[in-house]
Amino acid sequence: MKVLEPLFNPKNLALIGASHSEGKLGGIILKNLLKSHCCEGGRLYPVNPQWDELMGVKSYSRVEELPDEIDIAVIIRPAEEVPQILRSLSGKAKFAVLESAGFSEVGQGELQEEVKRIGREAGIRLLGPNCMGVYNPSAGLDTMFLPEARVARPAKGNIAVTTQSGAVVSAIFETLVQWKMGISKAAHYGNAADIDESDLYEYLIDDDESGVVISYIESVRDGRRFIARASALAEKKPLLILKAGKGGSGQHAALSHTGRLAGNYQVFSSILKEFNITECMDLEDLMDSAKAFSLEAKRKGKKVFILTNGGGSGVLASDECARLGLEMASLPGDARDELKKEFPSYYVIGNPFDLTAQAKDEDYGKILERVYDSYEGFAVIALSAVVGTTEGLAKTLIEFGRKGKPLVFLTGMDETGNKLAAALEKGGVACYPTPERAVRALKRLLEP
Amino acid sequence: MIEKKGVKEFLDSIGKQTILEHEAKSYLKGLGLRVPEGFFLKKGAGLLKSRPLDFPLAAKAQSRLIRSKTEARAVKLGIRNIEELESAIRELVRVEGAEGVLVEEMLPDGIETVVGGISDPQFGPVIMFGVGGFLVEALRDVAFALAPATMEQARWLISQVKGHQILKGIRGRPPVDMEAIAKALLVVSELMATELIEEIDINPLAAYPDGAVVLDAKIFVKA
Repeated sequence: MKVLEPLFNPKNLALIGASHSEGKLGGIILKNLLKSHCCEGGRLYPVNPQWDELMGVKSYSRVEELPDEIDIAVIIRPAEEVPQILRSLSGKAKFAVLESAGFSEVGQGELQEEVKRIGREAGIRLLGPNCMGVYNPSAGLDTMFLPEARVARPAKGNIAVTTQSGAVVSAIFETLVQWKMGISKAAHYGNAADIDESDLYEYLIDDDESGVVISYIESVRDGRRFIARASALAEKKPLLILKAGKGGSGQHAALSHTGRLAGNYQVFSSILKEFNITECMDLEDLMDSAKAFSLEAKRKGKKVFILTNGGGSGVLASDECARLGLEMASLPGDARDELKKEFPSYYVIGNPFDLTAQAKDEDYGKILERVYDSYEGFAVIALSAVVGTTEGLAKTLIEFGRKGKPLVFLTGMDETGNKLAAALEKGGVACYPTPERAVRALKRLLEP
Repeated sequence: MIEKKGVKEFLDSIGKQTILEHEAKSYLKGLGLRVPEGFFLKKGAGLLKSRPLDFPLAAKAQSRLIRSKTEARAVKLGIRNIEELESAIRELVRVEGAEGVLVEEMLPDGIETVVGGISDPQFGPVIMFGVGGFLVEALRDVAFALAPATMEQARWLISQVKGHQILKGIRGRPPVDMEAIAKALLVVSELMATELIEEIDINPLAAYPDGAVVLDAKIFVKA
């Protein structure tokens, strides 16, 4: 069994610092935990010195009273109490999720080291401190102290999330909920005293529910280990990394030019490239890319065909292709001749292919079929401001997308556009709100 | 592969944290890199008239106390005859901490590149390549890779900077010898991989169509 399996699929769980009040973190977590499958049948153990029952669940007054063999102990007590709590869990718990803050992030490095040492001696693996822990919708597991009324949880899906920041967790959740996309596993590991991104990558390699992994990193402890684990994971499934801390230059009291140029981020970014691991430049890029990989598979290629019903959008998409090194190969001569005969003279027959505002849904299918063999990726633009574009286009494009070559889509934001995009994404075609973002996502799906 | 033992012996023989240009160059020469023809003249020693060089010459004070030779006025270029050389040496030995003067033949202009190495807090030994010589810190056109590197990784690193276009030859100029640059990267990567060195700068490494020459080099030993 994989080392981290009980962290994502625990058989039982203790919450130390549980509260009856949803105004307290210990109460929010308890409420979220009550939905967890593992906690059915009395396998959720809240610990609180004052009450025998919290939110209808039997509560324990001391850690010592807990049954043995606890998979996860979630701790939400003041930082200075954490060492003692961990000691009392020795021999009892496999994992401790330290949600308490007040460690190295506020200069209390020594306290963190102490906690780390106790964890090692007690044989307890630690997530955190200063973290929100894990979310695994297929196990109903949710240790995060964000009230669901404020941050809705994404449904079950194929996107795995590892992050050092809690704020990024909520940003990712909000985006995925809005996009109606889902999560396989999410872990917020905060200060990474023990479990870090490398451990999580190792777990996610064989997690069949996770089709793409997004990873927000502030710093890594051991760069060599990180790059080895990241490479191994990236060989099995898309791994998208967003590195924070891009400012600042040289990291040294530098003596050399090299030292003054070797900023933390510059070195990190170069080495990701050296190992062919995808770096996303910002949160938008991270989420757009995650959507692309969640819905579609990567393919070799760089020849792109753009089909549009709006001239300007086609040109902007084409510009972005040029900027990213995608090739806007011209239409093959025979295809051009045939299409010229078939379509009205005011259609701009080329690449981009402009159907103008008089576009009809059926034109899209005919043209795409005709040029399928000549291109490796497709950007289709159907602005919904024109009458000829309807929800009916979805079926054609979904079928076209199923043939296997990367396809991205852009439409309008009116009711028709929204319905069209929703249908397409349900059918496995990634949609974006601007031509540039659509092409950037297409670039991610095309391997040079 | 450069052996750690040999590197340690060299560093111990100097016994200082800063390895001076003339020391670094003679060591790098021994490892197969090209350096200009020249000699090092210890402070107080007479001019080596038995070692003729082709004018014009460059003379550089060698001091562990200065950080930038240019800023400390520790460099004389375009020296045309013995009289000018003697006067340059008299002036240069007065530079703060000067242990002597390195006298070298001047070479035609090549394309200035930077080959460096650093012990990175996250990744350990890494190498750097950049184009721009003294402009490198302004242009910031550099890329990094893990050390030790293979020849293939060194070639890849060279291709990662924008200045790669210049190396390939622009406006009718012939391409420079990329293999020679890659070899310098490889030497630096193997030196870094010993984990005895904090930082190395070969800046500039002048690249020509037929080779690359170390015009300046510095090594800083790990404390």
